[in-house]
Amino acid sequence: MKKFLKALPAIIFSFFIALMLILFIALPKASYSETEKRYLAQAPKFTFDSFFSGKFGEEFETYLCDHTAFRTTWVGLNAYYNLAVGNNGADGIYHCNNGYLINDPCDSSKLHSNIEVIKEFADKISTDTTVLIAPSTGYICSDVLPKNHREYHDDELFTDMESTLSSSAHFVDVREAFKKEYQDGKQIYYKTDHHWTSEGAYTAYKELSKELSYTPIDKSEYEITSYDGFYGTTYSSSGFWYTKPDTLEVWDNKANDGHIHIEIQDGADTIESDDMFFYSHLDESDMYPVFSDGNHPYTKITNNSKDASGKLLIIKDSFAHSLAPFIADHFEETVMLDMRYYKQSVSKFVEQENFDKVLVLYSIDNLATDTDIAWLE
Amino acid sequence: MVFSSLLFLFLYLPVVLLIYYITPRKFRNLLLFIVNLIFYGWGEPVYVVLMIFSTAVDYTCGYFIAKYRETDKKKAKGFVLASVIINLSLLGFFKYAGFICDTLNFLPFLNIPSFQIPLPIGISFYTFQTMSYSIDVYRGDAPMQKNIITFGTYVSLFPQLIAGPIVRYKDVAYQLDHRKETLDDFTKGVKLFCVGLAKKVLIANQMGALWDSILATGQDNGWLGSWAGIIAYSFQIYFDFSGYSDMACGLGNMFGFEFLKNFNYPYISKSITEFWRRWHISLGTWFREYVYIPLGGNRKGIKRQIINLLIVWFLTGFWHGASFNFIFWGLYFGIILILEKFVLKKVLDKLPSFVLHIYSLIIIVFGWVIFYFTDLTQMGEFIVSMFSFGGIAFSHDALSIVISYLPLLIVACVASTPLFAKLYAKVQNKKFMWIFETLFCVGVLLLCTASLVNQSYNPFLYFRF
Repeated sequence: MKKFLKALPAIIFSFFIALMLILFIALPKASYSETEKRYLAQAPKFTFDSFFSGKFGEEFETYLCDHTAFRTTWVGLNAYYNLAVGNNGADGIYHCNNGYLINDPCDSSKLHSNIEVIKEFADKISTDTTVLIAPSTGYICSDVLPKNHREYHDDELFTDMESTLSSSAHFVDVREAFKKEYQDGKQIYYKTDHHWTSEGAYTAYKELSKELSYTPIDKSEYEITSYDGFYGTTYSSSGFWYTKPDTLEVWDNKANDGHIHIEIQDGADTIESDDMFFYSHLDESDMYPVFSDGNHPYTKITNNSKDASGKLLIIKDSFAHSLAPFIADHFEETVMLDMRYYKQSVSKFVEQENFDKVLVLYSIDNLATDTDIAWLE
Repeated sequence: MVFSSLLFLFLYLPVVLLIYYITPRKFRNLLLFIVNLIFYGWGEPVYVVLMIFSTAVDYTCGYFIAKYRETDKKKAKGFVLASVIINLSLLGFFKYAGFICDTLNFLPFLNIPSFQIPLPIGISFYTFQTMSYSIDVYRGDAPMQKNIITFGTYVSLFPQLIAGPIVRYKDVAYQLDHRKETLDDFTKGVKLFCVGLAKKVLIANQMGALWDSILATGQDNGWLGSWAGIIAYSFQIYFDFSGYSDMACGLGNMFGFEFLKNFNYPYISKSITEFWRRWHISLGTWFREYVYIPLGGNRKGIKRQIINLLIVWFLTGFWHGASFNFIFWGLYFGIILILEKFVLKKVLDKLPSFVLHIYSLIIIVFGWVIFYFTDLTQMGEFIVSMFSFGGIAFSHDALSIVISYLPLLIVACVASTPLFAKLYAKVQNKKFMWIFETLFCVGVLLLCTASLVNQSYNPFLYFRF
């Protein structure tokens, strides 16, 4: 017995590594990971070429890592372990008060050159251009951040963006409005996702009214429906599995029923809908695609109600998805282009289509790290 | 393949252990030889040829050295020379050729096309091991290995193949043929492996993340911020390397081998001379036995001794990587060692020990600056930032990063001293020790698996060696 107990570490060790091997072999292999939002590696094909080039070995290792038993449990253990040893934000996401999971300050080295690209574009086209950049969640909700966190440089970056763009475009600075709404107890950003909430998008919509020349619709005019159980991107990349889900609100303007038509082009596919929202996505854990059906290169919303007039082009990231339903109430035609997928000349497109207004809408984190807007011309 | 990977832990190791222990003893070396080659060839199968070539050449040289060493010294010497030249040529071609070409191209009249060959992993280690074999046989320190499979097992032995320790042939010659695997040794090996895994995954990787974050802020971190960064790197490199050595020794134990200790708490040294007796012991021993002493060591006068020391430290530095900074790093220590030997000794003897600790640590940590930056301009900038005492001490971000890692920094500090080992030695034979040992191993396994699965950060530093 004594001998057995003395050897216990070795017995458990052997048992553990053998068990992990057996589970790897025996467990069914999923092809898609819901939490990671990506396709998992498939078993590599063995060929002499792939073996001798080392490719097989490499791919097999990725395959093994992707299909380790209880993968998400391990990731969670790692996240909470880091938190326990005082390293909040070890993987780039702060575990904050009130259930917020917030991205740490982004690397802003590309921001200035991207703003320069926008400025050149605005100078080039004759259409009136407005730029709105959503501040970072950590900057607005600074009171919930852990005591020890890296600095959010939004103030400096906004000053720089504003002065760079001042002679070329309208720069709509929503910092004060966001802070005020947040202090009034409104939830401007999701707790488990990097996007702004419908409340946040609505605030931005009000701030844009002067530049885009419309009278914002009052909050009471919307029919607001809440959906529980929303787990967004910061949740799935953080590993903090014990975080409570968010509530997602859909603000529906019933007055536009029957007037709206959406046409989405993605590669060879065209999606058409007469509803502003894509409710089927509410069944998924990430509900944000309920707005504009998620990421697509080209989206056109037409509105044939008598209050709508003019044509608006939005060059955007996914923050625009929840803003577009508000704005589209005022324009006969609202077109959204996603520079990550749209690779043609935008200035030509503006001329051809005779837009009345152009809105450039990004979140600061995306714009600061984006490598595709450089194609804007 | 690296030990701190899911592939090794949950596929290679269980399969190899299982097959090894059901294989009859007389076939175990053959089995090890085969699985060693799989381990080695996983990333770059082509280089298995190199390993087999190395084995065949050194086996042949050893055979003839043994044959002639009594009867025809000259011939025996010729084969030693052949073995050394072939091994150094391999190393020279695969590790240094690109660097030498690039350096020669600085000459205005030369224009050699530059080329990059992927470095065969562990080549710095196994070429040194095989050279030790030929030399040991020549010197009569070890018997010749008659069985080429057994010899191949030694050359390619996977536990120490890619990051050491550099096992001299004479230290394992007997074990290769006569080792006995026991449950006690196996348990000892598992515990040592867990210690090494914890050092690598739970400390070194985290310290590396701290150092990288400091480097990545892209702004002035403050002078204290720079020091904090390089201290983190000092911990990273120690825990990474010594963790790897512990895992190697532990794996050796699991297969019935016993390797010599490679690190002995280097950061508690009171002089640089002492540091190099505690840091990467197998490398220091190798250079002493196969370079310094054959050059005449200290037996040919002070002048010659200084030259010998500089040669050894030039080579030690250069061995660490094909880049100028490694040469500077070696010579930096060479010069300090010479100063300590001939000038500072009397002063150092009189100083209180805490001063000596601080003196040694500053020199060691500063050495890692030279070691880290292969780009000399960046090195210069970093050194300036370390000594800009007029500027801020900490930038906001640097301080925030350091605070995040503070508990682990403290653990790293304590774990750099023999404190835990001393405590363990005291309670080792207590009745309920198995509970703590088991909990420790389970804890390490769970946390390391979690960290490896997360794969947020698991770089391997030693491919360049």
